[in-house]
Amino acid sequence: MPRITVDGRDYEVPEGRTLLQALDDLGVLMNGVEIPHYCWHPKLSIDGSCRLCQVEIEGQPKLQIACNTPVQDGMVVYTRTERVRRAREGVMELLLVNHPLDCPICDQAGECKLQDYAFEYGVPRSRTREPRRALKKRVDLGPTIVFDQERCILCRRCVRFCREVPGTGELGVFGRGDRSVVDVFPGEELRNDYSMNVADICPVGALTTRDFRFRIRVWFLKEIPGVCTGCSRGCNIHLGTAYNRVYRYTPRRNDEVNETWICDEGRLSYKAIGAPDRIREPWLRSARGVLEPATESDALGRAADRIRTAAEAHGPGVVAALASPHATNEDLFVLRRLLAALGTEVHGMAVPRGRGDEILLREERAPNVAGGRALGFGEAEPVLDRIRGGGVSVLLVLGHDLLDPRYEGALDALRRCESVILLDTHHSELERAAEIVLPVRHAAEKLGTFTNFAGRVQRIEPAVEPPFLALSDGETLHRLGRTLGLAGFAGVYDVRAISRAIGSEFPAFAGRDVDAVGPLGLPLAGDPA
Amino acid sequence: MVISEAVRERIEAAKARFPQPRGALLAALHLVQEELGHIPPEAEREVADLFGLRPVEVHEVVSFYNMFHSESGGRHRVYVCTNLPCSLRGARTLLRHLESHLGIRCGQTTPDGRITLGHEECLGACAYAPMMRVDRTYHEDLDPERAVRILDELE
Repeated sequence: MPRITVDGRDYEVPEGRTLLQALDDLGVLMNGVEIPHYCWHPKLSIDGSCRLCQVEIEGQPKLQIACNTPVQDGMVVYTRTERVRRAREGVMELLLVNHPLDCPICDQAGECKLQDYAFEYGVPRSRTREPRRALKKRVDLGPTIVFDQERCILCRRCVRFCREVPGTGELGVFGRGDRSVVDVFPGEELRNDYSMNVADICPVGALTTRDFRFRIRVWFLKEIPGVCTGCSRGCNIHLGTAYNRVYRYTPRRNDEVNETWICDEGRLSYKAIGAPDRIREPWLRSARGVLEPATESDALGRAADRIRTAAEAHGPGVVAALASPHATNEDLFVLRRLLAALGTEVHGMAVPRGRGDEILLREERAPNVAGGRALGFGEAEPVLDRIRGGGVSVLLVLGHDLLDPRYEGALDALRRCESVILLDTHHSELERAAEIVLPVRHAAEKLGTFTNFAGRVQRIEPAVEPPFLALSDGETLHRLGRTLGLAGFAGVYDVRAISRAIGSEFPAFAGRDVDAVGPLGLPLAGDPA
Repeated sequence: MVISEAVRERIEAAKARFPQPRGALLAALHLVQEELGHIPPEAEREVADLFGLRPVEVHEVVSFYNMFHSESGGRHRVYVCTNLPCSLRGARTLLRHLESHLGIRCGQTTPDGRITLGHEECLGACAYAPMMRVDRTYHEDLDPERAVRILDELE
């Protein structure tokens, strides 16, 4: 492998890579080695158009762009010399000649590379008196993206993204020289399942998502690492939160899972967190047959009562559970323990499905299908069959995954149970069959892990608090176990301890607890995938 | 289809002359413009099909070059060079003169659809400044009177 020296430090780098690529591979780019860049992006082809990444290389008379200069053994690179600084200053001056500098009303302000590098390399005064080019300030490129032509610095990241990632190629650069503009083909629009990524990779405020623009100044946002719950890919994300609300999901780089992307559907799934149809309190079916608000202890008391009575009358086998792949490994592990303590083995897991694609989106539309399977939850159908056959008196249901069209008639089947105990985040039709409804936390509101389709255990943590009383599925079940007086359910719920305990019962999870998996997750131990 | 079979055949022949068929894109666009007078989006789509490109890529090329027109114009296209040597030799005055003679502004087409007037940055005939291009013909060493005569002779 070639050895190179950058600013006096030696690096061993992979062959056949360019300088920026090699430094990025090593994880030191912008993390020790600061080489500013606009057009280069680790997951897109090389453009070489912005010229900002120029560096000095020993033996080469002119500065070279680091993004497109292949590494060679013995290469000696300087990124902080006076020549480099002046070159960057010149590039910044040219980029700013036509930039509107409307930062006070720009959504990108605060997370803008133009601002950042102008701060570092900008010249304090303008040498031009000519008017800046006047272009359209609001172009609707499609249903998701709004474009400000004046702010664009023509790095072509968005153009390359559309051609290389979704392969739809809606965008192009039209015109020439200082008349160049990014646009769509006449009469068409930017419309694909990944369109909103262009707003993330736009280094300036030219491309903004219709969903997020003007919602909040970004410096008020706290970016909490998490995992998208839209499908079993488990794309790594940041949850942008402020005032106890989630304002957006943005992709968080994980080369093993989602590189730097996320699909539009997943990105917008944050809306479910603060949705008006969240279940905000426990509900109990009254003697009149309607659901009425109740206290948690009443709800848990009634649930425990139903379980105990049924088990005493017909044996524990009449108590069954349908788990949710939206629940964490920890939640599901507590459910397993609860069922084991009750002495029943009747359980399954309903998995909602949708359209998948070849990029990120998976057919299984829940984040923890593999986790549920690894913890022993099989298909839902056998349980539903048993319910239809009258073999289940009390059914614990997590989530509303059963409403997926593939479980047609599940609601009718549930009505055959004497009592359905539902733990869910959102109101749904499923409540019609429920006697007891308990509110639970969304993934954005709790600590735990999901196991993605490839067997990677990934951590989620609370980004917001629910504005009502609700616990995680695991803690709710723990309290139910305690109300039932079951062994092992006394005391305070400790999700970290639960997370560690999974590994002792399921060896694949050993060393994969919330505190061990790290920000990028870990594959299940001994997992062939 | 807006591109005729004859032009399609000539485009295919042009493609065969390049190691990368895409190299014939400019030649193809010239052929299309010769036939249609301009290159509308439908024609860009058809050219894209012929080359296995995305329409947006063809539009990038069409919009890059001044000699390709996306909009329809008059029967004749007249371009006065206004780059530095021509301007020093009176190109701006020439252009103003033609504007008032035709009763239109630079960039417009006469109401009878006869002439579209425009300007170009450099047509590479600096030694013969000022000059103008009428369709595919260069007229050099112009003065306003001669330029007007040339335009008046256009049908």
